[in-house]
Amino acid sequence: MNRPAVAVTGLGMITPVGNDTDTTWDGVCAGVSPARTVPELEGCAIDFACTVSGIDLDEAVGGRAAFRMGRYVKFAVLAAREAVADAGLDPADWDGTRVAVVVGTSSGGSAGLTEQAVALDRRGPGATSPAGILLTIPNMPAAEIAIRMGATGPSLAPCTACSSGVTALSVARDLLVTGQCDLAIAGATESIVFPVAMTGFARSGAAATRDGDLARLCRPFAADRAGLVMGEGAAVMVLERADDARARAAVPRALLAGTGATTDAHHPTSPHPSGAVARAAVEAALRDADWGAEDVEHVNAHGTSTPLGDATEAALISRAYPHRPPVTAPKGVLGHCMGAAGAIEAGLTILTLQRGVVPPIANLEAPAPEFDIDCVTEQPRHRPVRRAVSHSFGFGGHNAVVALQRP
Amino acid sequence: MSAIHPKITDVLTNTFKVPAAEILPGSTMDSLEMDSLAVAEFAVIIKETLGVEADSDKLYKDATLADITTFIDAAVSGDPAMSNAR
Repeated sequence: MNRPAVAVTGLGMITPVGNDTDTTWDGVCAGVSPARTVPELEGCAIDFACTVSGIDLDEAVGGRAAFRMGRYVKFAVLAAREAVADAGLDPADWDGTRVAVVVGTSSGGSAGLTEQAVALDRRGPGATSPAGILLTIPNMPAAEIAIRMGATGPSLAPCTACSSGVTALSVARDLLVTGQCDLAIAGATESIVFPVAMTGFARSGAAATRDGDLARLCRPFAADRAGLVMGEGAAVMVLERADDARARAAVPRALLAGTGATTDAHHPTSPHPSGAVARAAVEAALRDADWGAEDVEHVNAHGTSTPLGDATEAALISRAYPHRPPVTAPKGVLGHCMGAAGAIEAGLTILTLQRGVVPPIANLEAPAPEFDIDCVTEQPRHRPVRRAVSHSFGFGGHNAVVALQRP
Repeated sequence: MSAIHPKITDVLTNTFKVPAAEILPGSTMDSLEMDSLAVAEFAVIIKETLGVEADSDKLYKDATLADITTFIDAAVSGDPAMSNAR
């Protein structure tokens, strides 16, 4: 298909290992998980997670508006601010009518909804917040970014559970290539480390239960992997047509070469056992990028550390990329940042392209013997990477893959 | 100059991030750039923490922080003269 190339010119992140992009990258490369006991989860079956720390979010967001923002909104606002500055842009100077905002989330403000439900039940309607709805609805990250940045083009919040971040990048790319905007602020955010959600994950059986050192609990692709560890955070990017970036002398971090999406249509939590539908998403992304499988020099895997999910993905990787490109899985460090994960991992993939470094999979000495994949372990692997993919597979059976390349 | 009720200062500073230097007895919610949603939230917090109920539009929007302090002090002490302030 003949269509304009799309560049990523700005990147912002807030994650359990860092409140900006560079700190996050260093933390992921260090390969040590910050998983810890979370006091607010006292009494829950799972009372630990990887959480954003070391920042006063209200102070960082600033102004009089923090009270009306859920934690997931604040993450997105901060990541967007970093991304826009990184792109060398100032919202005071741009034509806001040509700026789109596409920021996804999986659970939105379910934490805020729960707090309001408790207030209503215990103390009555007068105790609930007049901003209660704003603390709940999933479009508010996109809306608050638009408000703060005067972005009056299209805005929306894609939701495909754990692949929402990749879906957001894909939608933003489409808005750019169809001329519906000139700049797109795109990414995803999540914050669901609160008792109701953590109890739900515990009861679903997908989550790892407390067993020894919390920092070693998430072990993607390990033989003894025992389930996911919850994370939180956001990543937001600035996308624009590569020609436009060149015209304003912006240096792209990467090109968004292609995206592919499919749906298992099989089961809400179990991946389709054949992996064929997820593989179709890989093939769609490669087709979209006009790459052959052998062009893929690195795979940033979904790798949640669940027994079935990792087995299905490892089989998919070994079949789809038989030349054994190096594989990493950032969730070993970050935990599963849910809706934000796909955006964070796409951001990390871009940093791999830029720096020629593949971060190691935390807590992994070697992949399970039945997995024929080249996992990067122990230390970052230094090697030039020109083309890479990032996989995201969401509850519900949503598969999304993004292909990224050096400019 | 009358003092400002410490709860008012606390809520404005901590929940709404209003710089302490702007929190003066003569300040109004408008002058502090508190929009209607913020004022409504302020009213809920005052009710939940001090048990003082007031219509956010009628009382808090145009009143000075000194006026609100007088109202809260009277309501907390149960002064019936203030019961029509709503």
